[in-house]
Formats: sequence, C-alpha cells, structure tokens
Amino acid sequence: MSIRPPTLREKRRYLLARIDPAGTILEAKDLYYATYEAVVSLFGDVAAAAMQPSVLAVEKGYVLLRCRRGAEREFAIALSTLSLCRDCTVALRVLAVSGTLESLRERIATIVPKAPVLPGQDILPAEQETAGTIPCGYLFGSSPVDVVTGNGHKVDVIEKGFKNTRRLFLTTEDLETLHATTISDGL
Amino acid sequence: MKITDACVYPFPVGDSSVRRCALEARSFGYDSIVAADTPAAEVCGITVFPGIFLAGIPAKDVQSRAKKSRGTGAVVAVQIGDNGFNRAVAGTNGVHILRGIHAADKRAFDHVAAKIAADNNTALDIDLSVLIFGRGHLRQKAIHRYLDLMILYRRFEFPLTISSSARSVLGMRAVREVTGLCSLFGMDESDVQAALAGVSRVTDPGESIVKVIK
Repeated sequence: MSIRPPTLREKRRYLLARIDPAGTILEAKDLYYATYEAVVSLFGDVAAAAMQPSVLAVEKGYVLLRCRRGAEREFAIALSTLSLCRDCTVALRVLAVSGTLESLRERIATIVPKAPVLPGQDILPAEQETAGTIPCGYLFGSSPVDVVTGNGHKVDVIEKGFKNTRRLFLTTEDLETLHATTISDGL
Repeated sequence: MKITDACVYPFPVGDSSVRRCALEARSFGYDSIVAADTPAAEVCGITVFPGIFLAGIPAKDVQSRAKKSRGTGAVVAVQIGDNGFNRAVAGTNGVHILRGIHAADKRAFDHVAAKIAADNNTALDIDLSVLIFGRGHLRQKAIHRYLDLMILYRRFEFPLTISSSARSVLGMRAVREVTGLCSLFGMDESDVQAALAGVSRVTDPGESIVKVIK
C-alpha cells in the first residue's frame, strides 16, 4: 500500500510529558501498556480506538506521546490518572502539546541541561568538598538516607535499612536540619 | 482568593516532607495547601494550613474537637457518615469541610444536608485521589457521587473544595490536570476555580451573607 499524500493523512498531535520521579528508567513498551490501560479504564475501548494513543520514545526522563488530533485533551486527562508502570510508581506531567515531534524535541533540548550533573552534586553545600561522588550519610529524622537525585532544592532519597527502603521526597533544608519535623519553624 | 489543595498527607503518613509538598504545589500553580498534622507555616511562598481530619467519631466529639481548634487557624475536615451525622456536622460551627462523599451512601448527603451546608458555609470536598488511583467500580461510584453533588451544588451553592489527598508528591496534580479531571463530572473551568478557592472561602468568609441595613 502506498503512502498517503499529506492532505489525506490523519492529523496527529504529539505530547511531551516529564516522568516523575526523576531518574526513573522506563521502557517505552511498558509505558505504552500503562498509558493504554489508563485510557481504556477511563474512557473505554471505543474512545481509546478513536484516540489512538501511543508512546513514541522515552528520552532523557521525558516521554513523547502521540494521539489523534482533537483527542489530546482527553488523552492528557487519562495520562493524569496514570500512576503505575510495571510495579513502579510514576507520574506523567504533560508539559506541551504540538503538531510536530521536532518542536517537542527542541523543547526537551531547552529543558535538559547540557552538562550532566551527578545526582546530589549541586544540592548539598555541606558535602561540596566531596563533589563528584554521590553524598551519603545524611539523616532524615533518625533514619540514615542515601541521596538518589537532586534538582535545585528538591532531593530524592532512599531510606537505608534492612526492610524499609522506600523513596522519600525531601528538600535540602530537610536534610540539613537532620530532623525535618522539629526544626525551628515547626516543620 | 487562594488556590488551595485541600488535603495532602506529608511525612510521616506520606513519603514527602511538607517543604517538598509546598515546592511541588508552587510548581503546580497552587498558593496554599492543607497538610495533615502540620503547624501553620509559609514555605517558599506557599501557605501551609494545618489540617485536622476527623473520621469515625460521633457528632458530639466532632463538636468538641471543632470548638478546641477554633482560633488556631486549622482547617477542620470531617469524614462523611450517615445522613443524620452529616446534617449534624454540616451545621456545626467550626467544621470547615466534609470529606469522603465518594465512599458514602447514596442518600448520605441529600438536599437538606446541602441546604444546611450552604447556610453554615461548610464545604464539600472533591477527592481526586480516587479518580487518579481508583479503577473500575470504585471510580465509577465516585464519578456518580460527584455528579450527584454537582446537581446539589448548582441548586444550593454550598462551597466546594478540591483535594488530591496525596501521600506523595507523585499523587499531587497540577491545576490544569485538576481542571481536566473535574470535567469528567461536569465541572467547568469557573467551577473548578471557585472550588480551588473554597478553602479560603470557608476559613475566611469575608463579608457576612446577611447585611444589616440601618
């Protein structure tokens, strides 16, 4: 079958979404299944067929998605109900909708910093002498934590422990004060 | 008018600190959040209201708890129960929000309770977590309850609030996403804006409904 001329092709819309939490590595196929499940469970099979959702690529912590033109609003709503991808808790934050993939890729290039920053390198002043290594040995409350990623004031840590090793979402102030619940302003 | 997420559960119930919740809320377009068991604070330009969430206690105890929290600046939210309980609590001075209508009985919140809530400036909360994390029957029931609630809202115009009930920053949603989710049960953009400002409406009512003309 020959390729249709541009005027006869289906019009598509492309969405750019950020994958939260930062540093989560997902495969496009897994994300496609999660996305499709979110669309089908919210709008049903008929709407999903009309919407034609798909995941095009996962690049640098961002995902490029595609749907039929006119259905991008419903697709974005369905994406906001996505919370699990292969037993991994994630959230997709839709940043932009465009008619071309190229413009979204340009957008990623403007968002993502050119020089790669090591996790936790730029965020914790007390540990800057050991720049280049991932700082560890921090305390949150009474439990020791390891820094996973950091972006500005935001720091993601993982509790060190034998059983309980959940990911915590903190800020630099929470770690510096060593006890986030009893600092001077009461937080 | 403050755009407020009416319920988040920071650490230790959730996995995110209050500061992180506030930072994320700012990036999502909020001005304030109501955080459970947290003192009042101003973090990164975000007002953190202390939240007192009461569930599974009789109406008399709700009254005494509401009386104790008066003047502290805390937002008192009560889990919806049966019809009699809801009518009693909706008329209780000091109770700001009724929560959990998505899980309540079909007849738990009727037109009489709606009228009482409207007269006492008590808000009804729309919990989005059940739409985000729920699937199947649970979500269908929630959407149905919210559709019913919107019918009463249009008739009686009681305040509404919108909450993410997030136990993590991953559960929080931006104002634009909230608008999209609320459109599933017939809320338009102006309704959503009014509902997001609902917390400031119930905590700081401003001018009295009844004007004294001399």
